[in-house]
Amino acid sequence: MNIYKTILSAISLLFFLLITPVGAQVSDGRPVENFFKASGSPVNPKVPVSWNRYYTNEGLLEIYEQLVAAYPNLVTLESIGKSYDDRDLWLLTVTNRDNKPHHQKPGFWIDGNIHANEIQTAEASVYTAWYLVENYGNNAFITDLLDEKVFYILPVMNPDGRDHYMSQPNTFNTPRSGTMPLDDDGDGIAGEDGFDDLNGDGHITQMRRRNPYGQWRTDPDDPRRMVPAPPGEFGEWELLGWEGIDRDGDGMLNEDPETGRYDHNRDWGWNWQPDYVQRGAYLYPFSLPETRAVRDFVMAHSNIAGSITHHNTGGMLLRGPGAREDARLYLREDVQVYDALGKLGEKIIPGYNYLVLYEDLYTVYGGQIDWFHMMRGIFTFTSEMFSRYYLYNEDPSGGWGWGFNEDFYSFDKYLLFEDAFVPWEDYTHPQFGEIQIGGFKKNYIRVNPGFLLEQELHRLMAFTLFHAHHTPHLEIVELSSSDLGGGLREVIAVIANTRLIPTHAGIDLKKEIERPNLITLDGGEVLAGMIVENRDLNVVKEQTHNPAVLEVNNIPGMGTVTVKWIVKGGRRLSVTVDSAKGGVVSKEL
Amino acid sequence: MHLHFKLVFFSLILCTVTTSLPLYGNILSDNGLPGNDYSDHQQTGERLRSLVDTYPELSALTTLATTQGGKQIRLLTIGAGNTDIRPAIAVVGGISGNHLLGSELAVQFAENLLAMSDQNRIRQLLDSVTFYVFPEMSPDARGQYFSSLRYERLYNNNIIVSHRDPDSGAPPFMDLNQDGMITMMRIKDPTGLWIKHPDDERIMVMARKEKGEQGKYRLYREGVRAGKQGCFNAPDKRGVVFDRNFTFKYPAFQPGAGPHAVSEAETRAIADFLFQSGNVFAVITFGEANNLSEPLKYNEAAASARIHTGWKNDDIKINEMVSNLYQDHLENNLPAPAAGQDGDFFQWAYFHCGRFSFSTQGWTVPETDAERPDPYKSEALRLLRWAEANDIPEVFVPWEPVDHPDFPDQLVEVGGIKPFALNNPPYHMVDSIASIHTNFIIDLAAMRPVVCIVNIEKEKLDRDLHRITAQIINKGSFPTASRTGEILRWKQKTVIRTTLDDTQQMISGKPVEVAGVIDGRSVITRSWLIHGSGNVNIRAGAESTGFSETTVSL
Repeated sequence: MNIYKTILSAISLLFFLLITPVGAQVSDGRPVENFFKASGSPVNPKVPVSWNRYYTNEGLLEIYEQLVAAYPNLVTLESIGKSYDDRDLWLLTVTNRDNKPHHQKPGFWIDGNIHANEIQTAEASVYTAWYLVENYGNNAFITDLLDEKVFYILPVMNPDGRDHYMSQPNTFNTPRSGTMPLDDDGDGIAGEDGFDDLNGDGHITQMRRRNPYGQWRTDPDDPRRMVPAPPGEFGEWELLGWEGIDRDGDGMLNEDPETGRYDHNRDWGWNWQPDYVQRGAYLYPFSLPETRAVRDFVMAHSNIAGSITHHNTGGMLLRGPGAREDARLYLREDVQVYDALGKLGEKIIPGYNYLVLYEDLYTVYGGQIDWFHMMRGIFTFTSEMFSRYYLYNEDPSGGWGWGFNEDFYSFDKYLLFEDAFVPWEDYTHPQFGEIQIGGFKKNYIRVNPGFLLEQELHRLMAFTLFHAHHTPHLEIVELSSSDLGGGLREVIAVIANTRLIPTHAGIDLKKEIERPNLITLDGGEVLAGMIVENRDLNVVKEQTHNPAVLEVNNIPGMGTVTVKWIVKGGRRLSVTVDSAKGGVVSKEL
Repeated sequence: MHLHFKLVFFSLILCTVTTSLPLYGNILSDNGLPGNDYSDHQQTGERLRSLVDTYPELSALTTLATTQGGKQIRLLTIGAGNTDIRPAIAVVGGISGNHLLGSELAVQFAENLLAMSDQNRIRQLLDSVTFYVFPEMSPDARGQYFSSLRYERLYNNNIIVSHRDPDSGAPPFMDLNQDGMITMMRIKDPTGLWIKHPDDERIMVMARKEKGEQGKYRLYREGVRAGKQGCFNAPDKRGVVFDRNFTFKYPAFQPGAGPHAVSEAETRAIADFLFQSGNVFAVITFGEANNLSEPLKYNEAAASARIHTGWKNDDIKINEMVSNLYQDHLENNLPAPAAGQDGDFFQWAYFHCGRFSFSTQGWTVPETDAERPDPYKSEALRLLRWAEANDIPEVFVPWEPVDHPDFPDQLVEVGGIKPFALNNPPYHMVDSIASIHTNFIIDLAAMRPVVCIVNIEKEKLDRDLHRITAQIINKGSFPTASRTGEILRWKQKTVIRTTLDDTQQMISGKPVEVAGVIDGRSVITRSWLIHGSGNVNIRAGAESTGFSETTVSL
């Protein structure tokens, strides 16, 4: 089916190009003369995409295939594994494929939708791929990025969950997991008491009941909203929770949903802890097929030097560690890199705060960013997309109130014209009797309203691109030779890393994760090789074994490394720097 | 059995100065005839298949996984009828490649138990308890005993090539004296840290600087300098060690720990099985740890920390009960107590799988009466003294000079304790050890939790209004779950389910209740007020206790 789709989209693109009158380009079915370029956005994208709506798994696949068909030299599409429900985990590799193999370029990993209900994170990932290819060749910064770097983009890590969130009745908080049923209430039966979409509208909203002794009363400013009754007074409503029925008779509502309560982001290999410590943990690290597929890909691509994993909500750029006891392993030199990038992020994404996960948010054991950082040495951020800040572009006051904050009501009223709210309607409940059902839809609160989507996708992408830009960039900035007499030459090479991120994070060096950088002199007989620690005072560290291939533990960010060889003979000398995360560069003397 | 621990870190020590451990070995068969030595992977399989052929009603053999080395992770299930929904004990052996005995004890337990199945009491046991026997959890490593080059090995065949260790792809060791074993190599050298033991010159011990002793030898495992960095081979870095690959206190980045916890086919196989098998209430491991010769001690801080690292006090009491039983069986042959290690299976089974977990080596080198205590506390000396006192032949390879390419100008001698001798008794001793352990496990099984519904009372409040009161008793000595099992999500709790028909209504009481732990020989009482008439069904239990069901007529 996928091959069929690829062919079909290729044919439609071809057809599209063929029917176009010679000399007249079209965009989105309209003549290109009808458009005027807005700065920073492609005026005539080959793959027109509307960034004010969300795409199903099938809709996303269609975009991937169109990108591959339109930019075959920049995009490849592969499935890196299967989900619990046997859906493909689609990964886009985005780079200029014509200059050098992608594994010889510093790599940048992007993923989205690890949590099922955090759907705009997939669009954030796809927007990045789309923007890169649509601007390649037109914009120098973007062109350099795709010439020098490779992006590995997994827009949806949890496709089962995405599909469930969109196609099944859910709240804006559910599901977080995939679709594996678990016995969440411990009674020996899995998934027997989940939500019930009583009014059949595809959203799980609230249940309330008139009660003269209730705690809530109607907000005089917005009758859809309830506010707590003042102290010493009764209200008129009692809240009964999310739409549902106690189906198993245990006195609890919705406590064992059909999608088990587990969390892909507690299933990673660093400081994993069981469920009683870390809610959401499954059996052991990488016990879920989706995280296992990512592990396999990341471990097979040691060129990945930076990454971001997209989440919602709250407007944050988070770095690790997830647990206080690991703070000592986030070494000073690594934190400096995070701080520089994180502060840039705060500037270019207003409403976002750069935070430390365990310190500023909550403790996470077995989280993805810790595995990326601690066990792979990859500089990694978590984004938390969308925030109440965006309702009125000001820092919100008051608590979240999970759907009851007045800002959400007024925003829905004045900007969405009440599209995000299910009006309260009467319903006869088998256990509660006469109640009302209503409240915010699942596509509100955590997920961007359509008109606020594109701006956040772009700003977050811009931060991501600067992060990727700062993965190591190695240049051989000096290569010189001097005659020592007696047929011996001294060859000196200076290698610069012109970006913030080192070839080896501090944690990488401490735990010996990645191989050293190999700096090789070809041609001539190498009699001695050494790393120059102080060139002026001739402090060197000799490498006696295999001196032609010097093993350099790190080429620091915004720094240089100097090496020296003593060579006999050889006319044409060349130096190659081979760095797992810094790529491969060569120079001839 | 502290040896195991040291062995893992051997490779780290090698590159620095010299090793602190004598790594020796042994040919343990008694006369080389079939049946007089430990069984290799194939022979183990044949013994298990033969059991299934002989006792098809009582046993089943399955393969849970295949290792990188192509060896099977086998499971022998023993029990009559439906073995899934009744209390079970997992018996796990061969978790360390150098512990041949553990595998043998697991297999002989199965053989002994099934051989006794014609006895009434054993047959009844097999009707009510399931035994899951895992004889060989480290088959890749264990195979080294049976190979042409014999040495103690812990890692599997899933070679982790360390980019930072240029020697990690090098071949392990070299048999310099060509005796088919890797023993030790001593080099006479004034920079060495080792001396001959004053009481037995065959044994090398580290010179005690604080006593003014001067080292005279360097000591390595038998081998040549390999690779460019001048290290001797460091084979224990090369694969993953089963008993270091679990999630409890996972020793990330340590040799043998693997790329992450539960990364291996072997570890995943048993973890997945036990998570799925809620009926397993106890796990008995034949391995390096020992909480049977002496029970663990309660440590309140460790047991109540956010991440528990100590057993809960109620569970310690069960450990004491089982340890008493073990001491009764073993009498004067108790192996040495030994703590668990980070990332091991024994601790994982309790802390992360929630089962009562017991471990023993089965045997350790007994102390022999000596004129004076050994100031160097040498395990090798203990072995030699015991071997001499008990006429155990050939546990030692005498030191003999060899020509060594890396030390052309120095005296290099090869010799030492034979591989495997420190951790495994000669094979002729195994039958009696296995027999004792079989009886211990049988008695342990009799202590299993058993949930029954008893003392049902009906009280008629009106024509169609009845109060039913029932007691749910745990008749066993074990609680229905460990206290850790109670807080872990994957351990099935005791559930009390009361089912009415459509005409009945429950006025009070719960149709379904997930109950807390019911301690051994303890009772909980529940009552239900029911409007209606006819039959009410009450069912209580968990997979690990069995289920009890009763119908009450109103």
